[in-house]
Amino acid sequence: MNSPPEATTLSHLQGCFAAALREPGPQSEVAIRQLADCIVDDGLAPARRLQVYRNNARAMFEGALERTYPVLRRQVGDEQFAALARSYRAEHPSRSGDLHWVGEKFAPWLAAQVAADGGAWLAELARLEWACEEALVAARLPPLAPAELGQVVPETLAEVGLVLQPCVRTVSSRFPVWSAWRAGQVDGAGEPVDLALGAQHVVVTCGDTGLVLHSLPEEQFLFVAALAGGATLGSAVELAALDVETLPGLLAWIFGEGLVTSLRIPK
Amino acid sequence: MGDVRTARIPGGPIPARAGIGLRSVHHDELVARRPAVAWLEVHTENYFHEGGPHLAALERAREHYPLSLHGVGLGLGSVAPLDPAHLARVKRAIERFEPALVSEHACWGHAGGEHFNDLLPLPYTEEAVEHLAARVRHVQDFLGRQVLVENLSSYFAYTASSLTEWDFLAAVVERSGCGLLLDVNNIYVNSVNLGLDAGRFIDCVPTEAVQEIHLAGYRRNRVGTRDLLIDDHGSAVCAEVWSLYRRAITRLGPVPTLIEWDTDVPALDVLVTEAFKADTILENARELAA
Repeated sequence: MNSPPEATTLSHLQGCFAAALREPGPQSEVAIRQLADCIVDDGLAPARRLQVYRNNARAMFEGALERTYPVLRRQVGDEQFAALARSYRAEHPSRSGDLHWVGEKFAPWLAAQVAADGGAWLAELARLEWACEEALVAARLPPLAPAELGQVVPETLAEVGLVLQPCVRTVSSRFPVWSAWRAGQVDGAGEPVDLALGAQHVVVTCGDTGLVLHSLPEEQFLFVAALAGGATLGSAVELAALDVETLPGLLAWIFGEGLVTSLRIPK
Repeated sequence: MGDVRTARIPGGPIPARAGIGLRSVHHDELVARRPAVAWLEVHTENYFHEGGPHLAALERAREHYPLSLHGVGLGLGSVAPLDPAHLARVKRAIERFEPALVSEHACWGHAGGEHFNDLLPLPYTEEAVEHLAARVRHVQDFLGRQVLVENLSSYFAYTASSLTEWDFLAAVVERSGCGLLLDVNNIYVNSVNLGLDAGRFIDCVPTEAVQEIHLAGYRRNRVGTRDLLIDDHGSAVCAEVWSLYRRAITRLGPVPTLIEWDTDVPALDVLVTEAFKADTILENARELAA
């Protein structure tokens, strides 16, 4: 072969190959031609062989995004979702050998794309789906029995923090994202999303059998979100402007769902 | 009370029998029915995380079957450095599940900070042997154990390649101390796609290095007047691959064999039936040897 030695180094080949695998553009076109020169031509054009890898790279990325955002995909349709995935990949290619992380920046990216055309609720739905993805892979520790809270000296109760499960995520939206998520389930109600339902506030958890999404009244959601953020019981009540009459029932629900793993007791 | 130590059941090596790739759609059914397959293999990256139903399901399955962890995302042969976080997660998964076998691919997968999440081919050159062997040594040192390296399906050959694929793999084995995961379907796919001599590959691969075999299906694409086989793991093992497998077992003796089926995953019984076919061939080889 007459090519200079450096033309066949691993570094050169992988650099050309990588550029050829990216979404179409002037650089990828040049790279495809360069790499084609390094591929055996046995009658089947090197560019057509290379196309298999280009298709694979795109399919792997889009497939991962589809698995993370199945509800959004059902809402916008396969074609529009694929177009969104291609645009997103061009700006946010995979940065990990673990495909799980491909969709990490999708929701904020989508928000910027659809801000002007009334699709902001779709980006909010994506934000909820990413919270679900995080909850699905986070640890779930043995829950704390509610009786443990009863052991706390009453005078110090306001200073106690509840440490929630690592799989708890909180999503508050001005759109009815919980309803949209429900409607988009394969076995869901299937009704169209009524945006007039307004704001919804969702606590996402994951049990042994899968995801659980709770839609809570705003002040109760704010209380849970404050606890998740490390607030003490007293400051969480204050931050959420929670009616203390509702506190016992809300705490019973939080413990009953197994969301508490330990207490943070002041020294 | 002293340190609590947990003994996994069953431990020990993977037997020279047929296993199946475990996919999430079969998690519950597998544990409920415990079909007669000898072992399981999963993609390591699917169990990288700290919790969730999939992790719990594998913990349950692991109580009944020996396990192999098969990595698809490390990109061993990438010129760019390996991702230390990814490698650490592999180690964490090994500590958690105590697999009998750990494997990866003779490929590259990332460059310039971008991952392509595919098994991309290396040229079969002295430079690539040295690079891949050094990477495998690094990974084995980090994990504290031997890994198996799998031969790829390829859709093109590099003009730069100066070695045969089997000589390339043998050199990597010799310089790194790794084992080989011989994917017989990939050999067949390459024989159609690249004109590789599949029988010669089987006859020349270093016998003592092969510790696992993969069997899978492919998709046939017509490109102009040519066929290009796509290694999609989406169908039954074809007759030609069964034939090559018999040839491999005749030469290598019984080797743990996996039925891989990753796309359009069928009913669990279909996988069990495919594993039974492989087991029959393995059993015949044992009888002949006796």
